[in-house]
Amino acid sequence: MKLIAKKDVPAVVDQWSKTYAVLAPSLQRNGECIFDTFDRATFTLEYRKPSMPPKSTYLPQSEAIFQVKDGGFIHSARHEKTMLFGIRACDHTGIRQARSFYSRDMDDVYHRCHAEDTLIVVHACSWPQNETCFCTTVHSGPYAKEGFDIQLFDMGTDFLVEAGSDTGRELIADAPFRAFDVDDASERLNRVKHMALNSIPIVSEVTDAMEILRAGGANETVWEHLGRKCITCGGCVYVCPTCTCFTVYDRVTSEGNGERVRAWDTCLYAGFTREASGHNPRASQALRLKRRHEHKLLYYNETDNQDALCGCVGCGRCSDYCPVHIGTIEVVKAIADHIY
Amino acid sequence: MTNSINEFDEADLFFVIGSNTTAQHPLIGSRIINAVERGAKLILFDPREIPLAQFATLHLKQTFGTDVALVNGIMNIIIQEDLYDKPYVQARTEGFEELKTMVARYTPKVVEQITGIRSSELYRAAVMYAQADKAMIVYAMGITQHVTGTDNVKTLANLAMLTGHVGRPSTGVNPLRGQNNVQGACDMGGLPGVFTGYQRVNDPATVKKFEDAWGVSGLNPKPGLTITGMMNAAHQGTLKGLYIMGENPLMSDPDLTHVEHALSNLDFLVVQDIFLTETAALADVVLPAAAFAEKQGTYSNTERRVQLAQCAVSPPGQAKADWEIITALCRRLGMKCDYACTEDIMREINALTPSYGGITYERLSSGYGLQWPCPNDTHPGTVFLHRDQFTKGKGSFLPCEFKPAAEIPDDEYDFTLTTGRIYYQYHTGTMSRRVDLLEREAPEPLLEINPEDAKKLGIRSNDVVEVESRRGSMRIKAEVTTRVPKRVLFTTFHFKESQVNRLTNSACDPVAEIPELKGCSVKIRRCS
Repeated sequence: MKLIAKKDVPAVVDQWSKTYAVLAPSLQRNGECIFDTFDRATFTLEYRKPSMPPKSTYLPQSEAIFQVKDGGFIHSARHEKTMLFGIRACDHTGIRQARSFYSRDMDDVYHRCHAEDTLIVVHACSWPQNETCFCTTVHSGPYAKEGFDIQLFDMGTDFLVEAGSDTGRELIADAPFRAFDVDDASERLNRVKHMALNSIPIVSEVTDAMEILRAGGANETVWEHLGRKCITCGGCVYVCPTCTCFTVYDRVTSEGNGERVRAWDTCLYAGFTREASGHNPRASQALRLKRRHEHKLLYYNETDNQDALCGCVGCGRCSDYCPVHIGTIEVVKAIADHIY
Repeated sequence: MTNSINEFDEADLFFVIGSNTTAQHPLIGSRIINAVERGAKLILFDPREIPLAQFATLHLKQTFGTDVALVNGIMNIIIQEDLYDKPYVQARTEGFEELKTMVARYTPKVVEQITGIRSSELYRAAVMYAQADKAMIVYAMGITQHVTGTDNVKTLANLAMLTGHVGRPSTGVNPLRGQNNVQGACDMGGLPGVFTGYQRVNDPATVKKFEDAWGVSGLNPKPGLTITGMMNAAHQGTLKGLYIMGENPLMSDPDLTHVEHALSNLDFLVVQDIFLTETAALADVVLPAAAFAEKQGTYSNTERRVQLAQCAVSPPGQAKADWEIITALCRRLGMKCDYACTEDIMREINALTPSYGGITYERLSSGYGLQWPCPNDTHPGTVFLHRDQFTKGKGSFLPCEFKPAAEIPDDEYDFTLTTGRIYYQYHTGTMSRRVDLLEREAPEPLLEINPEDAKKLGIRSNDVVEVESRRGSMRIKAEVTTRVPKRVLFTTFHFKESQVNRLTNSACDPVAEIPELKGCSVKIRRCS
């Protein structure tokens, strides 16, 4: 266990950015914080949940997976040593869930390459990022348990620094990191963790809804109601740390040359499940929404869950951004409280 | 829009006419859905069963091209029932008596004959709108793309003024703009009769101001031609050269055979676009333009909000930002035109355009944009228009008589064909049809036909049908659906495989010269 003064962090990250492509919180001129290539001028430690999860580091929005050039085939798995600095525990769990999915019964070489190239620095939460956080309900936060390289705990003017891997240990070996050698170190850490756990309210409807789904499913009127107002933007999928679906298409760049690309897709689009005959087993938006939420809350894979309760990591982004309020929180409340 | 998008969240009633809001303005559509869920009312006027219909308190399906009669009828009921806002009419408007006299002729019975809407429903709509505390009128191309487009808009404005539903928060008249910067293009004088900020080209003081600023003299005070006017002039041979930017008239304009002839009749055609469109393929010179992420500049959106966008990637190949191409051309023509960057251009806009006076790059880069009018550096921008008075002072009622559409179905051409857009494709498909995922969602054109009509004609879904108007024909797959009423066909203009604008009518509104894309008469048969 180490300590570092918060004021020393920018210089350390600056140093790391010479070895890694560092993605870090960056304060924009309009007051918004996004994760972007590290820039000392805009770097900040005062940030809330960024609008996008870090999944694009592992599964880029679109990525060429091979190229055809002059009749030849070029495998194009991209390598770049990357560091995600300051991601939250929920998003880290999302990364672990996706990693499990992409490696469980086949080796997705592209996802693996990105995972092997990426170091993770988790910034544990001391309190909810906003009113839609429910990591404590689904056991994905507020701090990471494993799979990270470095984890930072907020101790006021300092961060308490925990290494989760050998690389992490090396990175925090020297100054300005300093030893945290007090007798009650682990007790103090536990106190911080405990306070954080208690500060993030439990959304009991999540487990209630999961129970109802297990017991035979939600009232169909829930899905019909939600399906009617869904505008099919796909935004909930794009901001979801655990959504892993992609589509594949070929693009001709010039005569005889081209590339095969995979890009984010969403199960909320009719074409995602439409068959060649034109038949669609998920024929309505209600059925598509039902499938997506049941995948998170009922038909998840136990292995892929990692330490979490289900296929949702409780980041709350779908509830933050859905223009018609069909986020996981609204969905579980509709199911559990029999709203519709 | 006289309102801002956020004002949808506080309105009590929406009067939506000629707008498939959830499909074409989904984020505004979602505001309406949320509002209905919290108890707001929605009156929808649309001949089609659009998705918003599921949320409508009242959905009235008027006959195509009868909006003036419909709204006159509503106003007549409001006046007869004494539901109009007398203090507002007294204090802020003029011409009420003329309006009252004219709309008196539009009795519920007359309106029912013209529009097909039952008097009881018209009455309900009139009372709901008039009695709402905060009501917003929302419209789009369903109102404007008619030979009576201008009359339709004037009539909606009459209705809002009559009931005092304009000039307060969440009350107003809101044309939803169809492209991210069409508002900006109009604001910047991309219209035949105006300079920036709608300053008229025939106003001597304005002309003098621009002449002084540009160091020139003799600016032509005569308004230029509209798009439809240009096509007619080219067709007749009086227009010799055309420079088209970011527009694909060979797909988007009515009566494509006429457009083809017009363009081929030109001596010289220049097209500036980001892809080689159908129109660009005909050009003598193609100027490759940078796409949105490849240039810096501002966009003015539907709520009059000017927003700054930064360049994210360099333009490919020889492509350049539009302003660079235009200024380079101007310099070759001997004009000074020495802007170093887009901010230089904005400074000129600030100096010459009162409504944009305070919209500077400095302010735009540290926020979410500014809404015009924003006359000076400290002005916060304008959330809604016409707060205490109208731009001209008192608002004039401009009563309009109902005039029928240019083409009415007859024995031979016995269907009305109406055109529009779908959620997954954009305009002539220049951009959206290059996106694999969107192509998967909407890969081919479909023609909507009512089941009763389809049955009579022996047409089933996915059958290929031939649709023919007096101007041209196309083949297209049918989609049998109750979304369209009887005797009405609907399709989009996105797909080059079935060019619906071969059939559409180039008859125009006499003032705005917008073509009647929303309705023409056709016949249909199943292809064997």
